[in-house]
Amino acid sequence: MVCGNMAGLELLSDQGYRLDGRKASELRKVQARMGVFAQADGSAYLEQGNTKALAVVYGPHEIRGSRSWIRHDRAVINCQYSMATFSTAERKRRPHGDRKSTEMSLHLKQTFEAAVMTQLYPRSQIDIYVKILQSDGGNYSVCVNAATLAVIDAGIPMRDYVCACSVGFVDETPLADLCYAEESGGVSSLALALLPRGGQIALLQMDARLHQDHLDALIEAAMTACKGVGKVLDEVVRLHLKEVSVLTGE
Amino acid sequence: MMEVCGSSNVTLREFGCEQSLLSRPDGSASFIQGDTSVLAATYGPAEVKVSKEIYDRATLEVLIQPKVGLPSVRQRSQEQCVRETCEASLLLSLHPRSSLTLILQLIHDDGSILSCFLNAACMALIDAGLPMSCLFCGVTCAIDADGQIVTDPTAAQEKESRAVMTFAIDSTERRVIMSSTKGSFSVHELQQCIAVSQKASEKIFQFYRDSVKRRYSKTL
Amino acid sequence: MKDTPLSNCERDFLLKAIEEKKRLDGRQTYDYRKMKITFGTDYGCCFVDLGKTRVMAQVSCELVTPKENRPNEGIMFFNIELSPMASPAFEQGRQSELSVKLNRQLERCLRNSKCIDTESLCVVSGEKVWQIRVDVHMLNHDGNLMDAASIAAITALCHFRRPDVGIQGDEVTVYSPEERDPIPLSIYHMPISVSFSFFQQGTYLLVDPCEREERVMDGLLMIAMNKHREICSIQSSGGIMLLKEQVMRCSKIASVKVSEITELLSKALENDKKARKEGGRCGFAESMPQERITALKMDETSVEMTDVTERAKDIVQKTEAPPQLVRSPVVPVPGVGQVGQGLQNTWGLEEEDEEETEECDNSDEEQEEKVTKMEEEEHEKEASREGDVVEISDSEEEDVVILHPETPDKTPKNTESRSHQKGAAASKKRQKK
Repeated sequence: MVCGNMAGLELLSDQGYRLDGRKASELRKVQARMGVFAQADGSAYLEQGNTKALAVVYGPHEIRGSRSWIRHDRAVINCQYSMATFSTAERKRRPHGDRKSTEMSLHLKQTFEAAVMTQLYPRSQIDIYVKILQSDGGNYSVCVNAATLAVIDAGIPMRDYVCACSVGFVDETPLADLCYAEESGGVSSLALALLPRGGQIALLQMDARLHQDHLDALIEAAMTACKGVGKVLDEVVRLHLKEVSVLTGE
Repeated sequence: MMEVCGSSNVTLREFGCEQSLLSRPDGSASFIQGDTSVLAATYGPAEVKVSKEIYDRATLEVLIQPKVGLPSVRQRSQEQCVRETCEASLLLSLHPRSSLTLILQLIHDDGSILSCFLNAACMALIDAGLPMSCLFCGVTCAIDADGQIVTDPTAAQEKESRAVMTFAIDSTERRVIMSSTKGSFSVHELQQCIAVSQKASEKIFQFYRDSVKRRYSKTL
Repeated sequence: MKDTPLSNCERDFLLKAIEEKKRLDGRQTYDYRKMKITFGTDYGCCFVDLGKTRVMAQVSCELVTPKENRPNEGIMFFNIELSPMASPAFEQGRQSELSVKLNRQLERCLRNSKCIDTESLCVVSGEKVWQIRVDVHMLNHDGNLMDAASIAAITALCHFRRPDVGIQGDEVTVYSPEERDPIPLSIYHMPISVSFSFFQQGTYLLVDPCEREERVMDGLLMIAMNKHREICSIQSSGGIMLLKEQVMRCSKIASVKVSEITELLSKALENDKKARKEGGRCGFAESMPQERITALKMDETSVEMTDVTERAKDIVQKTEAPPQLVRSPVVPVPGVGQVGQGLQNTWGLEEEDEEETEECDNSDEEQEEKVTKMEEEEHEKEASREGDVVEISDSEEEDVVILHPETPDKTPKNTESRSHQKGAAASKKRQKK
């Protein structure tokens, strides 16, 4: 079990290198693939450094279960976030149903309700299921990115890509895309979900102490990082589109 | 059979009551006996779940919330006592297929907690304007090691007493609606405690009357 | 119970009023409602009134073993109870979305920001640490539960005193409040959350929404700060799109509000400390307002006890004699107790030599009925079988016929004619001759 107290390790060296050799504003390597499951309406697999997430989308379809959730003018988005029991260094005993997972699911739901054009599908339901296969920091951000790709794969119209990234603040410098070691080092971390074209923030979440004067710089850094992620996602989507259209022989 | 001496220093602690202190519930009251304080709120008559509805009466639900932790078996047994008292005095048949919910929050426990619950419940029901056939009040008596009767005991007195009894007394005929006892005592002692409680209840009913009179003093 | 739904005209009215910068209770956009902080009788109990929203927080502590990965740190546990008292929509025991959201926000606001020195809660490293438990009860929901809860929680933590502990070698003694004065917790800073509600897709913003405003809002932004202008937590919820400028503006407003609230909080704590030092009675009872007509107080009264003894004697004499007491249990054989004789067997079997089985002493099971008369008959007919011990087997198998060498011809008949008693279905009885 990784010890929580990492005060001894230098999160940012004097030359400006982090624990894994990145520079302060460098993102981890993002690799993604869309359409991994044939059965689901949309699916995507995304790796950001060592964090791996799998997202699956079903919908829009008729509301199953309780009729009380029906909205007459828009679709209802139902999200479920869970971590695989083998995703962390110590086996997770309760992968879903605990408070943290429920909170994450609520946040994901909130993020996508803002971005997906739900008015086009009244009285229906869209399910988004995300599973973390390996957790190395930035769980929320990787989930959001993977879910964006899955929703695009399902062909559900969205206002814009939803890109998310986490940033931390060490020694007056914002660090983009935190890994687990940096997150648990007691660093103030901010997770941001952004729609890059309009610069609109879909979700903003911050923990740990940060002086108010640094907030501006931190949000700026987060937005730049998200825009970077957005570019990568855009490339992935275009590539996938090319592959698919080649296969269908257009 | 032990003789209980008629002592002249049987007292009730300081009382206090405030009604309508919460805006959401239909009726609310806080009742204070010395340092013991309880906050009560009622909702009703309101919609009832189909699984719980009764065709000719209202469904009464009592919930007791402790200060720390989740409700345990002790709270369930206290809920039962309060519920039976309320069901005996409320005119439930005037609101069939409805629900009445009574929620009691423990604020501070310094002895005589069950009687404080009962008094707070009655005041909250009065505040909500629910039809009742009689008012009720709760009185706790304790028999200490010497055999003296102590009414409205504090937590310290309860701990050292041989028996603790709580009676719910109705206002019309001063009869016992509910009794809950702990400890060993003789038949004679029981009757004496009941008699003492009936005497004490007169004071409490007078207090109810004064509270309500004061409350409506500006309108009447 | 369901909450009354919001009608369309109420919704339109509220939104229109907000567009014209008017609020239902006449406040300005950035104004908080009137806040009142009172304390209970024991340390760690605090009530916060934010307008009509009422919240109670209670802090308690106990000694537990620490977590394995943090052996010398104490444990903080937060719990927000949405009591059914606060709103008809809250149900007992159900973990609704709102409950999860509030709990997580409070945890992040107070725990992740490390407002309490957890290392000072350690008693014996690796074995015993203090677990501080904060229970927040919602008493009345009139909007903005999060702010009220955070203020109540941090005030209660500041007010709380934990028992003093003495360590002599291996022994740990916890001193009661009478023996040694309890110690306050060491608190680094006081994070307080401020809620901003957004309307019409983020165009309009209100601070401290009341319940009606919460119902029509699009989303909520919660910023927790302390008076040193450090942000402890930010959380946006509700699916709104924010712009960076809006977030920066909110954080500036929040810093102003937090400093005001912290001042009020410190003043309340000071007043309470003074009152306690002077020895006055503190608590919920004292804070009850006397001047209101809805409140009444009565002093200690004595109860007349003059004719109590006579009345009691009277009643006892007049009552009927109690019903015949049950005979005390008879122990025919060690390990078997018998209470009562039972009633006449009404199964209507015609065989003369009906046997009954003897009861076993298990008082939880329903008592088997026995027939005194039949016992006597049996007694006459056959050799005395009193003192026979009945074996109760827990097996679910059918009755097994046991052939005994003494009375081989009797056994098959016995199994037929035996009366399978009502009740006590789980155990089958066998007779041993």
